[in-house]
Amino acid sequence: MSGVTTIRPELTQAALEAAPPGRLKDDPILITFGMLKTFGGIRAVDIDHLEIERGTITAIIGPNGAGKTTLFNLLTGFDRPDRGSWRLDGRLLGGLPPHRIARLGMVRTFQLTKSLSRLTVLENMAVAAQTQRGERLERALLRWLWQPEEARVRERAQGLLERFGLAHMADEQAGTLSGGQRKLLEMARALMADPTLVMLDEPTAGVNPALTESLLEHIRELNAEGVTIVFVEHNMDVVMDISDWVVVMAAGRILTEGPPQEVVANEEVIDAYLGRPRDVADGEEGEDA
Amino acid sequence: MDFDIIFGNAARAGLGPQAAIFALAAIGLNLHFGYAGLLNFGQVGFMMLGAYGTAIVVATWGGSLWLGIPFGLGLCVAFALALGIPTLRLRSDYFAITTIAAAEILRLLIRSSPATDITGGPFGLQAIANSFFDLNFLPDGRFGWGTFSYSSNQLWVMIVAWILVVLCSALVLALIRSPWGRVVRAIREDEDAVLSLGKNTVAYKLQALVIGGVIGGLAGVIDALQQSGVGSENFEPQVTFFAWAALILGGLATTVGPVVGAVLFWFLREGVESFIRELSEQGWLPNALADFLDGAEGAISIALMGIGLVALMALRPQGIFGRRRNLHLGT
Repeated sequence: MSGVTTIRPELTQAALEAAPPGRLKDDPILITFGMLKTFGGIRAVDIDHLEIERGTITAIIGPNGAGKTTLFNLLTGFDRPDRGSWRLDGRLLGGLPPHRIARLGMVRTFQLTKSLSRLTVLENMAVAAQTQRGERLERALLRWLWQPEEARVRERAQGLLERFGLAHMADEQAGTLSGGQRKLLEMARALMADPTLVMLDEPTAGVNPALTESLLEHIRELNAEGVTIVFVEHNMDVVMDISDWVVVMAAGRILTEGPPQEVVANEEVIDAYLGRPRDVADGEEGEDA
Repeated sequence: MDFDIIFGNAARAGLGPQAAIFALAAIGLNLHFGYAGLLNFGQVGFMMLGAYGTAIVVATWGGSLWLGIPFGLGLCVAFALALGIPTLRLRSDYFAITTIAAAEILRLLIRSSPATDITGGPFGLQAIANSFFDLNFLPDGRFGWGTFSYSSNQLWVMIVAWILVVLCSALVLALIRSPWGRVVRAIREDEDAVLSLGKNTVAYKLQALVIGGVIGGLAGVIDALQQSGVGSENFEPQVTFFAWAALILGGLATTVGPVVGAVLFWFLREGVESFIRELSEQGWLPNALADFLDGAEGAISIALMGIGLVALMALRPQGIFGRRRNLHLGT
């Protein structure tokens, strides 16, 4: 554990002993300590310690109300924890507004897709590009200052749209896209922001099986390019298919974490989330859609 | 029945200074609501600050008009910041409520007795636009035909006002087509999505509020110039809603919408009023109805305009120039 002192200054011996459920990773990109969020008397999120390994695909699963989306909101600055600290690449994020966190490289999507309906698909993409000169009010009227950059942004946006199979819709208003296309657009748009860590909140919810397959392919490709991915998912086939690591949440806490095969065999996970087949004598196949 | 008179009156109002003033106010509102999604129900507050700022410098402090106008517009910037900084972080409905209250509070302050030394209180301020009319190069006399005619000074105000309308429309169009405008329109669609892409949405909303407010302030400046004075009774809340009516009539988030809407609003308002007056004068109405309408032509005209707007909302909710499909795209 050579990197302990530089990357993880909080990781004193005492902290290590106090935080047994969060397993240490070799090269964590995201480290969370003592995160607590209560709504009224309910502890929506109560995590002692969680690390996300750089360059992996991590799934967060758990029953409804387990605190998965709340955890996303806390990590990305859309909601504030009662207490807790978290670091992205060693940088403390506590108290930063969401747009500052996004600029540092952690970009999220939403469970209910947020396409910008009355902007074109291409504009949806272009708005995500970072540090554009023409986005400053004092330069907005000086077209020649941002025109070359705008051309590059559009070209890159067009390229990503082609990759995501949305190029033919580039000049359509985003509100005319189907639900599945919106999911694709939202993912492509997140990429446009050049993230190092992408947080996908239920990327395949409400998407047909064919499109789900294509979405997963994009997630894999993205990951192969070095982007770390964290996603919330209910579809266990998807989780088993693409994740390197699975974190199981229940009632705001982390129940367990580990490689997918290990986690689905865990008795606690089966009780809390996966459930047991009602009739073991009947085949295990065929029932799930 | 003299349709020349009716049409002349209507056209005079539709092209006159009032229409230009409301066009400017509606252009500001269009940037606020049509593009940035900010529900500003206090546009009259910006108009009032532009007008009073100018008038106070000239009439109260004896300064130059050319210092007064930037001072008035500067007050609009301050008002936008004071309104926006505390409320733009909150949900949009809080902002809407704050704007209508702030504009009315401002009006009551301006007409209160302790402020009389500065603002003239209930009496307002007069004789502020002399140096503006000194620049009038038009000859004396009346210009136009019959009832459709303007005095030299009115025409001078109109020329300046309509030039400002064109300039402000062009400014908003250029801004909205820039990457800055793209972020602003994106915020209208979904603020959280834009936040998640690393944009400081509050700063953009504040900038849009300031610019639209200053354009509203220009409307107030023109109003002060054309009357060569200010009075708090000219800045009651309904002014904001007339500007909204003009904007909705013309079509939200379009370039010509607010301008054509304002022209049409004043054309119809004056036309209907004139029409009712002609009807009673020609004795075409039963006596009882004529007596009832006598002196209430303006109110009836506004009521009919209201009915017309309701009909518009039912038949063409996107306004004259708006695109209907935009209404169906859920946000």
